[in-house]
Amino acid sequence: MTAATHNNSSGFWRRLTRKKQLPEYEWMIKPTQQEEWIEGPGVYLWLAFFFSEIGAGIYFVSLFSNFRAGFIIGWLMTLVLGGLIHMRYLGNPGRVLRIFAKPGTSELARGMWVILIFAVLGFFQILPALFSGLPWTGFNFMYKIIMGIICLLLIMHGFATMNVVRALPSWSSTMILPLSIISGIWVGSQFVEFFMGLAGANLAVFEMWSRVFFFVYLCFFLLYIWGTYHQSDTAHFSMQELVKGDYAQLFYVGVVVIGLAVPLLLTLIMWGQTNTFLIFVRLVFVFVGDLLLRYTLMKSAYYTPLI
Amino acid sequence: MTYKREKIWEDVWVNTTCGACYCGCGIRVRRVNGVPVKIEGLPESTMGGTNSGVCGKGAAGIMYYHDPNRIKKPLKRTNPEKGIGVDPKWKEISWEEALDEISTRMKKIMEDDPNKILFTNQTMRASDGPHNHPYFYAKAFGIEDNGCFIIGGGSLHCGNAAHMLGGLIHGAWSVAPDWRYTKYVIKWGSSKGTGSGHSAMTNARLRADAVRRGIKEVVFDPMCNFAGGKATDWIPILPGTDSAVALAMCNHILNSMGVYDELYIKAKTNFPYLIREDGTFVRDPETENPLVYDLKNKKIKNFDDESIADEDFALDGEYEYNGEKVWPCFTRLGPNLKQYTAEWAEKISTVPAETIIRIAEEWVENAQIGSTITIEGKTFPYRPVATVTFRGSQGHYNGVHQVAAIDLLNQLVGSEDVPGGTMGWPAIRRKYPGGQYERLPRVGPDGVLIPAVFYSHDPWPPHEPKVPCKNAGCVDLWSHSTLSHVPYVKEREEIWEKLGMTARPEMVFGLAVNFIISQADWQAAVDLCKDCFVVQMDIWVNETDQAVGDIILPDVSWLEKDCWSSEIDAFFFSGSPSYEDWYVHMQKPVAEPIGESRFFMDVYLDVAHRVGVLDKYNELLNNYYGIEDEDLKIKPGEKLDWKEIGERIMRWVYGPDKEKVEEQGYATWHKPIEDVYWRWYMPSRCPVYMEFLIHDRRKIEKICQDTGLELDLSQHYPLASWYTPTSYQELNDEYDLLAFSYRDVLHTNNTTFQNPYIDEASARCPYTFTITINTDLAKKKGFKDGDVIWVENRYAAREKGIVKTMQGQNHLVVGIAGQGGLWADKRPIAKGKGSNFCKILPSYLRHYDPLTGNIETSVAVKVYKAE
Amino acid sequence: MPRWGMVVDVKRCIACWSCAISCKEEHFLPPKVFWNRVLISERGKYPASRKVIYPVLCNHCSEASCVEACPTGATYQREDGIVLVDYDKCVGCRACLVACPYQQRTYYDQEKKDAEYFPGQGKTQFELLGEEIYPFQVGTVMKCNFCVERIDEGLEKGLAPGQDRDATPACVISCPVGARVFGDLDDPGSEVSQLIKVHSAKQLRPEFDTDPAVYYID
Repeated sequence: MTAATHNNSSGFWRRLTRKKQLPEYEWMIKPTQQEEWIEGPGVYLWLAFFFSEIGAGIYFVSLFSNFRAGFIIGWLMTLVLGGLIHMRYLGNPGRVLRIFAKPGTSELARGMWVILIFAVLGFFQILPALFSGLPWTGFNFMYKIIMGIICLLLIMHGFATMNVVRALPSWSSTMILPLSIISGIWVGSQFVEFFMGLAGANLAVFEMWSRVFFFVYLCFFLLYIWGTYHQSDTAHFSMQELVKGDYAQLFYVGVVVIGLAVPLLLTLIMWGQTNTFLIFVRLVFVFVGDLLLRYTLMKSAYYTPLI
Repeated sequence: MTYKREKIWEDVWVNTTCGACYCGCGIRVRRVNGVPVKIEGLPESTMGGTNSGVCGKGAAGIMYYHDPNRIKKPLKRTNPEKGIGVDPKWKEISWEEALDEISTRMKKIMEDDPNKILFTNQTMRASDGPHNHPYFYAKAFGIEDNGCFIIGGGSLHCGNAAHMLGGLIHGAWSVAPDWRYTKYVIKWGSSKGTGSGHSAMTNARLRADAVRRGIKEVVFDPMCNFAGGKATDWIPILPGTDSAVALAMCNHILNSMGVYDELYIKAKTNFPYLIREDGTFVRDPETENPLVYDLKNKKIKNFDDESIADEDFALDGEYEYNGEKVWPCFTRLGPNLKQYTAEWAEKISTVPAETIIRIAEEWVENAQIGSTITIEGKTFPYRPVATVTFRGSQGHYNGVHQVAAIDLLNQLVGSEDVPGGTMGWPAIRRKYPGGQYERLPRVGPDGVLIPAVFYSHDPWPPHEPKVPCKNAGCVDLWSHSTLSHVPYVKEREEIWEKLGMTARPEMVFGLAVNFIISQADWQAAVDLCKDCFVVQMDIWVNETDQAVGDIILPDVSWLEKDCWSSEIDAFFFSGSPSYEDWYVHMQKPVAEPIGESRFFMDVYLDVAHRVGVLDKYNELLNNYYGIEDEDLKIKPGEKLDWKEIGERIMRWVYGPDKEKVEEQGYATWHKPIEDVYWRWYMPSRCPVYMEFLIHDRRKIEKICQDTGLELDLSQHYPLASWYTPTSYQELNDEYDLLAFSYRDVLHTNNTTFQNPYIDEASARCPYTFTITINTDLAKKKGFKDGDVIWVENRYAAREKGIVKTMQGQNHLVVGIAGQGGLWADKRPIAKGKGSNFCKILPSYLRHYDPLTGNIETSVAVKVYKAE
Repeated sequence: MPRWGMVVDVKRCIACWSCAISCKEEHFLPPKVFWNRVLISERGKYPASRKVIYPVLCNHCSEASCVEACPTGATYQREDGIVLVDYDKCVGCRACLVACPYQQRTYYDQEKKDAEYFPGQGKTQFELLGEEIYPFQVGTVMKCNFCVERIDEGLEKGLAPGQDRDATPACVISCPVGARVFGDLDDPGSEVSQLIKVHSAKQLRPEFDTDPAVYYID
């Protein structure tokens, strides 16, 4: 998509992808926004990272709850939704195989290998879920452990890729990886819980875990904001932009209210008794909230000025 | 990652001269497959930057060739209505039709009075070939004294006062520090060595080497940008108040420190000349020479009496001549300066008194008065201090006194045209070895230098003010005007009437000028031209063409130009002012002319032929170059094009090396060191005591009495003094800031705005397309970066722009970099970029320097947010 | 094997943009793409404020973040220190672009390919020639290559980069004030090494830990 067609898209899309206008003469003289992975066609990368990681989160949580549909949904979301959007983002998707040929080059290439392993091992783990009577089972304990580790790596993939960018202190913040892991697990768990609810399973234990995930998510989120705020001048600037600057509205409404406050309220409402409808509502909020959290983190990444 | 060499069937470099500004650096242009693709400097040449260096404007030059907006055929206005915002409804016409109409109209006007044709050009080589030719081309039509030359797009703003004193003191158009040997430079509203002014890159190269040597550079400037930003010591000042500071410095040096270069003052200035009570020189009745007192013989003698040793000229004392008490005029200097204390100057200029004292003392300390230096076996006085000024400080109501006050610093320590001091551009142009053309200055009346070449209206001997004035510029009255601004004065009709000027302009014949947006009040310029038949030669249709142009002729850009003459005459402001060999560049075509465009010199010749003045013009050419060889002279009846004329003149100028010069695209020969540091080799004196102004005043007073013209004559005073500029006078509580402009290194006039490379770079510079204002002041006014504001003068002219705050700007000023705010439809890259400063310059007579007719280039304004 | 590097004397620089514009011509760069730029700002408070000018370009870092970030090996470092992008291998993920702390990389997309210097008026002969003889690939990342073509071809002809015009980067030779010097950082006798030593030239933002090959005298 060229910027021209991009500009013709809907108002919402435009607002969402609008960049803060820094005059050309302030480029790298004032903290300068990361654009390539969020502006214009860069939004595909945001979506690709999100879906592949949430997919892995669903898969991961499904491993614990033995929820077979979750394997399939997680696997498909990671590879089909995440993968396709990823391909859409690349400038030369035809050359993507080159990445697999160079696993040692970079975090990105290593991540691609993790995806490949996830795809293959996941495929064989899913097969018994689809076709009974196969001569082996995907629910072997060791297999689960291996897949669990791969899922965690996959959940971290996007943020790990971002985390190695030393030039963007808000991404290379130490709290970003823990936040990303819990985010994948928390959002994944909500999908699984909802699907299990639909399937009529007893959710009492699951809901207890959900509360734990949510609590950790909230803590890590606050730790990330607090830690990054006190990390360096540019990181400080990034967080200021997030909580006070151009993205503050999106941050408070999208991340704080939608992603945290409403889920908290719903969790409290369901303290004694789970309700599939409310779980669905919470899922929607969590989903949107986390998507926007990642969006604002992409947007509020600033480079340190050169002079 | 590599060039597809197999697709390249041509890859050549052509040596030529840059045309992006008036500096004319030597360049080479790369042409690949017939397409100009790259510009570099010529490493062999001293005319330009370091090695292959060329400035950004020059490098961007290829885009003038590639611009699809270039005019390809002559255009004629079909809408009889003229004005800003009126569609001219252009129609393409043939060259024949265009030239026929032009020459028919010209002939008719000439039958009446040729002074009714305003010849004008822009000091820019995009269109300018030989610098001097448009000036004496006009002479062929019967126009004298340069008075029909209105300052065109060269504005922002040509430096009448700087040129006048450049001519009088140095026999040159302008001054520069001797970067090679100086230790201490003071710049006043000048960016010499940091990107602007004549020989900009030559100076920038020399300055860069001086900086590596560790020189100190003090810059008095309202803003810390091009000059100030590179200075070791930036001192914020208010526009037009430089002379207050310089005078206070001189006062401290002379009256407090009691220091001056006595030998220099005695030998090289007119300060020993004896004056009577009224300030005029006492003259020998026979020779008419001013007189001096010989301390040794205790006698009054002619100033040029060879029996007086340099040290024996009296500078003080009271003498008697024919029963009249007389004094060396130097005796008037100290008392005149006494009133200018540092504390007084601080109040006017905002420069702290202690800073003024400190700089004055540093100046004296670094001047090493009395020291000498031996270079190549020749010994010169060594004064490694230079103080230079240019457009910024001289462009005021008090322009001449600004320049004179700054020059006085040089005079006191004897740092004129000696190693390390303040240099003029070469005053001497020796012959190319084997060639014939030579230009040498002469020593004129009162021992003052007459420049070898000057743009008409030579600064010396002074012209006597008289009426009736025969041309629109009224240089008969403004006799020190090199290029008159008077046609833009609001009250011009009244002035013309009072001064008996009957040659009301009926036609403009312009070379790429854009005077409507580049002079002052836009409407004043529109009114001047809207009833004229306006013909322009240019590569685009600019704002002036769109508003008032009748016929626009497509010129070639310098990349298509075959011009043998471009640098030959420009030595007095081009080339290296330093001790470096001569380089004179030609313009060689890199590509074929675009469309039907023609080199303006050929059009000039064609028009001269049609009008019937070609023989006269050719004769002027023969005389100008002093051609004595009958075979080379252009004969009556001969009709040659510019290239054919070049065949003759180049043979005369370069002799047997003509072909060699043509082939390499430049000529180079040695410049003797005595021609560089000529001051003590030339028996001339600087007219620091401007006695001629007393006589001018008397004559103009009489003219004013007779005609009813009102002109402030207080500045017709012989010693550099303080006069409050109009802009400063007009400050009040409402109009509380002084707006000023400056040259951005990326821009020359307004043509550079249409270059997409320069446009891109400008957008990446914080100050180029914005209006700058001090950060604290902005806060006080409630502005922040990016706000759109109006800058409005007290005559309701206003300009809009985007705020850029900066710490490095005086608290009482607003800065606008030149000639943006453009609107010509056929220059789409330029359109709407930046802000236009000239528009807010008021154009009443009181805003003009009464000595030179120079416009006041600062203005009292108020600023407020645009709704 | 030399390690090519550059010294920029910002005291000499007058911010004329010749480096940036010459670079654009040398490489037929499309509108709004700069492999060389000039950063202009100021420091300090009035009246002691100072203008600050830094011409910037790819630093050809020894520890290049872009090389570390590239998943395909398209961005690589030669033995002489020059960091290059092999357009044929670039997948267009822009990880290098995001990773570069100096932000010296540009993603060449269809929009940049279509851009015209005179918008809406078609491409000039210059732009068309550039596409023919110095083509870029849509969907890949581009940046300053230290004029590797000039260096390699110059060396083949027996010329010395940094000394001979035709073997020296375009931005260096076009600087009108000689603010840029190019040469071998590993040769202690080279002009660049000497300048770094004598003037204590510094790398821009050394805290990024990438060991740039471009030094500044300020």
